[in-house]
Amino acid sequence: MSPKAVQYRSNSIIYFKGDQSDRIFLLNSGKVSLSSVDIETGQEVRDMIKMGEFFGVKSALGRYMREETAIVMQDSAVMVFSVPEFEQVASKNTRIITKMLTVFSNQLRRIHRQVQNLMVSDEQVNPETGLYKIGEYYLKNKRFGQALYAYKRYLVYYPTGAYATDVTSKIVQSEEFLSRYGSGAPTGPSSGPAPASPGPAVHAAAAPAAAASAENSELAQQYYNSVSLVSQEKYLEAFKAFKKILDGGPDPEYTAKAEFEMAKCLFYLKQYDNCIKSFTAIAQKFPKHPELKEALFFVGRSYEEKGDKVKAGGLYKKIISMGAEDDPVVRKVKKALRALEGEKA
Amino acid sequence: MSPAAGPDLSMFNRFSKTFRKGDIIFCEYEPGDTFYLIQSGRVQVVRIIGELEKNIAILNPGDYFGEMSILENVPRSATTIALDDVKALEFSRENFEVLTLGNPQIALKLLKGFVQRIYAQKRTFMILTLDDVEAKVADVFLMLAENQSTDTTSVDTIEFKNTVDDLSHWAGIPSGQCREVLNHFVAQRRIELYPDRIVVKNINDFARFVNSRRKHQEK
Repeated sequence: MSPKAVQYRSNSIIYFKGDQSDRIFLLNSGKVSLSSVDIETGQEVRDMIKMGEFFGVKSALGRYMREETAIVMQDSAVMVFSVPEFEQVASKNTRIITKMLTVFSNQLRRIHRQVQNLMVSDEQVNPETGLYKIGEYYLKNKRFGQALYAYKRYLVYYPTGAYATDVTSKIVQSEEFLSRYGSGAPTGPSSGPAPASPGPAVHAAAAPAAAASAENSELAQQYYNSVSLVSQEKYLEAFKAFKKILDGGPDPEYTAKAEFEMAKCLFYLKQYDNCIKSFTAIAQKFPKHPELKEALFFVGRSYEEKGDKVKAGGLYKKIISMGAEDDPVVRKVKKALRALEGEKA
Repeated sequence: MSPAAGPDLSMFNRFSKTFRKGDIIFCEYEPGDTFYLIQSGRVQVVRIIGELEKNIAILNPGDYFGEMSILENVPRSATTIALDDVKALEFSRENFEVLTLGNPQIALKLLKGFVQRIYAQKRTFMILTLDDVEAKVADVFLMLAENQSTDTTSVDTIEFKNTVDDLSHWAGIPSGQCREVLNHFVAQRRIELYPDRIVVKNINDFARFVNSRRKHQEK
């Protein structure tokens, strides 16, 4: 069996709405019009088939009733295919399929929208709010890994969006919960696979050391780029850049560094509560952190900003007791303490 | 490669991605231009509707998802979560062309998938445009029976593994209202309502009821 060429006279009908058939047609010459009823408006809709265009595809492929009547407007030459014959032709020329995919996806989108419009419970949300709400849903349901994914994507697409500040602090919150309680999955934020290294793949088995060091220098680069954002006072971008380093998985050197820098960014983003939380967590995790005094200083400053002068003063004194006289941090803290006490007086 | 041989996708290994159990692969509302073909593991498709996470589908190896975004620039219409550790091929708009060129069977599978979805949406639309709530709910049962491809000419009683919430979702009505309708059907002995399933005693009776409401509405 092969496709048949069929001639149709003007005014004849190739198929009726409601017919069931597995024939697919291709217009070679002439004029064919498809007449259907719009399901939304109830109005009759007429579509002219262009030469070289297939019709009757959907109902044949899906084995559904024809939804339209195909009327011959002018004497026409039509090729008639069975479904297997059509599949054979389309397999040889996949552009046919790609084109139809576009048409069908448009139709699907349209009907999907029409359906959504009729759903009482489903109000239309813009994508920004929608994405934020997904994060909220998962956070509320303690699915921190999933909340984290949604929030992080939010920041990628809407770095200055309406919820950006809230999202930034919730990322920190989710991370904390995740490291504390886990998510069933291995700990650590996992927003999918680690990015594949670009360029010619290094065979890990053959040269693991080379691969590791290449990855390392890449990581170092990433880290210093992020630090440079801090110095440009682009704290939100810096925060995200550091976040990305953490997303790459744990690293003996850069994970802790990135965490520290992120906590700093939170201070400059005026997220004092989150800054306090983050630095406190760091201090607990690394009691011998080389920059512990610096960390505590940020905690103190956060309390000061929040108006809690007692806590701030207490911390400043503690830092001073921890370091030598000529330690630059200690000197900074002393100055801060004097300012604080001067204000109090 | 002959189409009959089944897709040999080993040449696409460089597009392979792995996701850990619980990972979100993509989120509803996210812009997206990638499409996935599952190689191993299962993927859950969900939508968050109000305060509820609705399960839309569970996909298995050989299934694909995300195919809408590849054709148009529209946000993702659902969230996908790895239900197991998942290995999938990820295609962008550019290499999607390459995939379809070399694998027309996959392209055809996609095309047929689209056809089914269009009809499914149209069917839902038919339900939603009924004015009468009881007819809506009855029509949801008819649709579910069609999906189970139960031959309703020979069978009257059908059991559905669906809940009140499922019904209310498809009928597009609040679940409280849906429950009222179902209770009314129970009182009329047209259905039996269980926590995990619903038994329709006479599906053809529902078919007649829905048809008459639809005809009445067209006048």
